[in-house]
Amino acid sequence: MQRLAKYKIYLFVLPAVIVLGAFFIYPILLTAKLSFTDFTGVGVANNVGWKNYERIFTRSRYVDALKVTLFFTLIVVVIQTASGLFFASLLNRLHSIRNLCRAALFLPAMMSFVIVGYVWQFIYSPFNGGLNALLAGIGLESLQNNWIGDPDTALFALAFAHIWMFVGYTTAIFLAGYAGIPQELDEAARIEGTSAWQRFRHIEIPLLAPSFTINIVLSTIGTLKTFELPFIMTRGGPDGATRTLSLHIIDSLFGKYKFGFASALSIVMLILVIVVAYAQNRILRSREEQL
Amino acid sequence: MHTPKSRFLRSLISRLITGAIVLMGLSTASLATVTLEVTAWKGNDTEPAALPELIERFEAANPDISIDFSYISRSDTDIVLPPRLQGGEAPDVMMADMPLVKIWSDAGLLAPLDKDGWYDRLTDQISQAITLGDNVYVMPLEVIGMGNFVNMGLLNAVGIDAPPTTIDALKDACQKLSAAGTQPLLLAGGFPAPLFAIANGLEADPADAGALGSGATTFEGNDAFMGALNHVKDLQQAGCFDGETIAGVDPWSTALSEFKAGNFAMMPQGAWNIQNFSSAPELDFVFAPLPSSKDTGVALDLFGFGWVISAQTEQAEAAKTFVDFFTDDANLKELLKAESAYSPFSDGTHGMASLAAPYDAARENGGTVMFPFGVLTWPKALEGEIFDSMTGFLLDLDKDANDVLSRWDEIIEDQ
Amino acid sequence: MSVHMSASRRAGTWLLSTGVLILVGIMLLPVAFMVAMSFKTGAEMAADPLGLPGGIFFGNYENALSKMTYVRSVLNSIGVTLSVAVLVSFIGALAAYPLARRTNRLSRALVLIVALGLSTPNFVTITPIYVIFRQIGLLDTYLGLILAFTALNLPLAVFFYTSFIRSIPAELDEAARLDNCSDFQIFWYIIRPLLGPATATLSLFVMLMVWNDFTYPLLLLTDESKFTVMISVYRFIGNHTISPEDLFPAAVLGSLPLLLLFLFFQRRIVAGVTAGAVK
Repeated sequence: MQRLAKYKIYLFVLPAVIVLGAFFIYPILLTAKLSFTDFTGVGVANNVGWKNYERIFTRSRYVDALKVTLFFTLIVVVIQTASGLFFASLLNRLHSIRNLCRAALFLPAMMSFVIVGYVWQFIYSPFNGGLNALLAGIGLESLQNNWIGDPDTALFALAFAHIWMFVGYTTAIFLAGYAGIPQELDEAARIEGTSAWQRFRHIEIPLLAPSFTINIVLSTIGTLKTFELPFIMTRGGPDGATRTLSLHIIDSLFGKYKFGFASALSIVMLILVIVVAYAQNRILRSREEQL
Repeated sequence: MHTPKSRFLRSLISRLITGAIVLMGLSTASLATVTLEVTAWKGNDTEPAALPELIERFEAANPDISIDFSYISRSDTDIVLPPRLQGGEAPDVMMADMPLVKIWSDAGLLAPLDKDGWYDRLTDQISQAITLGDNVYVMPLEVIGMGNFVNMGLLNAVGIDAPPTTIDALKDACQKLSAAGTQPLLLAGGFPAPLFAIANGLEADPADAGALGSGATTFEGNDAFMGALNHVKDLQQAGCFDGETIAGVDPWSTALSEFKAGNFAMMPQGAWNIQNFSSAPELDFVFAPLPSSKDTGVALDLFGFGWVISAQTEQAEAAKTFVDFFTDDANLKELLKAESAYSPFSDGTHGMASLAAPYDAARENGGTVMFPFGVLTWPKALEGEIFDSMTGFLLDLDKDANDVLSRWDEIIEDQ
Repeated sequence: MSVHMSASRRAGTWLLSTGVLILVGIMLLPVAFMVAMSFKTGAEMAADPLGLPGGIFFGNYENALSKMTYVRSVLNSIGVTLSVAVLVSFIGALAAYPLARRTNRLSRALVLIVALGLSTPNFVTITPIYVIFRQIGLLDTYLGLILAFTALNLPLAVFFYTSFIRSIPAELDEAARLDNCSDFQIFWYIIRPLLGPATATLSLFVMLMVWNDFTYPLLLLTDESKFTVMISVYRFIGNHTISPEDLFPAAVLGSLPLLLLFLFFQRRIVAGVTAGAVK
């Protein structure tokens, strides 16, 4: 009886588990089952064995998509986390404008993806788009480019738009982390005469470790899965330069009606995300504990 | 005077009256309206296709049928309708195009339509396209043109007074336009360039499409298509565009606003943009055929969409009445006018405005090619690959045309 | 606010504030662009996209408002969004408590399940949810929609809270347990109030995601009077050919209530954060 009492606390998890089971476990199992068929979304699903998976790993286009996805995620996560930290560390000290700026940084996230895509397409347009016009205005005409039409710059351009949209999230999480740092520590350090940079590096960053973990893991998972901006802004172009794995899933599902194949792609993506997220979580958690 | 007899009479009368009222109630119940759920990717503010007015007209003519209409965009249709169809909760009547018709009818989710009265009036190309085995599942609503939008204001300014319909005329126009500092041709890789390539590849023999689509013949080495891609190279030489700049331009937003603003003289696109462009007061444009080696140019017709009836519907009669309503020319022509489209019926009234006269002319002079994806001669998967590979081609026009075409063959093989 | 700031520090702070404000302002230029465009006539838009509007033209807004059932859909959106935020915070925090405090195998397994939920690609859940809801009769209901959104955001909430609860010292739990508090009492009276900043941040995220999502409302709702504002916007704009005169006012109309909701909650968040800081 005593043994069971110890587990009584897990009753708290019960509602969440039921919901998660119905909404995630069951669909994932179903998707796994369908990944071995040629289901089109309606009608009957015929078993085709490993054919879908074979195709994924033997065609270069899917391996390329994997590379694009990983690279894109790397760019976004690094820059977004750094930007969030930058803003949060400044705003933490500037109480008067903190709430205003935090809300302001969330404004991009409040706009729907279609709007964001459209506006940034305009900014990046090679015909007197906002960015090129700005560069010309300040005399940097030589830097003008066909931002999303050039395979070399397209992914970065996309990443930047994505970061613009979501930097509010990372900033907010870091700010919440800052709120947990006791002010006395900061005051004490200041009295001892340490510089702002030293305080930042040796007090704030270590104490923000949980926020780092959350930010990195969440933005990694979110960016690996994301499809909206690539879909709206470039549709995977030019010629596949920005075609992430998620875009292939969309394509298969809604362009070609290959539900079975899309399921296989989804399972591959799921495994990818879990592996990356779990590894990250472990590494970051252990660093958290060290600090 | 409440004698037993009068009391009996009174109760009899009241019972008769009650009975009569009940009977009246029952008969009005049988006159109650049937509600038909209809979904379409037209009918909202941006693309009305006269559907709101037509539905009103239908309801007035059929007071016992009430229409519950929902606009669901084309891409949302893919997301939202399959689960409903699978789950048995499909709308009664849906707008669909051939790829959807094929998949849904194969799965037994569509009701075969009654061909009486309208099937024989269809043009041959359409009736061939929509007949799957012995059955017809879709009632076609429109055939819409895909051609070359030409800004006549800009062309007139350099001394050209008719839209070019041949490749040579096009090169000539490009040279004159670029000499005057105007950007000639918006041949973006994501749609305009594919239109040009497909039109030129199929114009010699439109029937080729079937063999290419089934893999019986290959794109690689195909003279017509190699010629079409080489034309693209020539056009860059003639100064029509700069491949690297134009390749990645988004054909559904940036390209449209650029043409509308008068920054480009010509752009291949679909006639559904006519309404949008007409709202720019200073834009003097016509809708012309795609330039090709033939004199007439190519009128690339797209079989757009039609009505299908769900196999699970409980209002089969009402659904049939609704669908039949659109086979009547008097009604269909409203839709076609709003859409700037052609009737699928050989005796139907077209909805094209006068600014599409050049495209009309091409159609009448034998320059029509059916867009292969609309009539299922080519698998849908190929469409995306053509868009992609044309973009890649434009980025590097020194490439061999066969490199591009072999990618198309790969997709066909994968089917 | 420390009163003991030297004049030079105050000047430095002021300079820094201005710098940050300018930076944030630059970042918001695209948003300003969107708002400015919404007040232009179609001709102005085509002719001079980058310039300021000639005058404030309300025609686009009139058009948009007349075609969208705006007020009703905004109320629907607000109702759904707030309900989801409350539910998700509660269920998520509750579930996170044991996971944060116990690190045995059961906890680890459950965390893995949560991670699975977080990692699932978007379209995997659509058809199964539709089928389940149809069977239990939750199609076309507010409850169904709220449940679906709660479920979809639950992994995030649990993940979030687990992290935050871990940083709350376990000694507080111990102290309460010595006073004979039950697990639930510890959770409710000790842990929950300290989750202020976390709940605030999480609620903002959840509100953003629920407000802007239109796939699930589109899938689950057929009754127009239940539609959320984003569906209204997408129906109005269409999806294929983007017309700027429709796009921009619709976008502003779609996001404006969310912004107001946000600002309203920011005040309460500040109160919550300061209250929670008093440990």
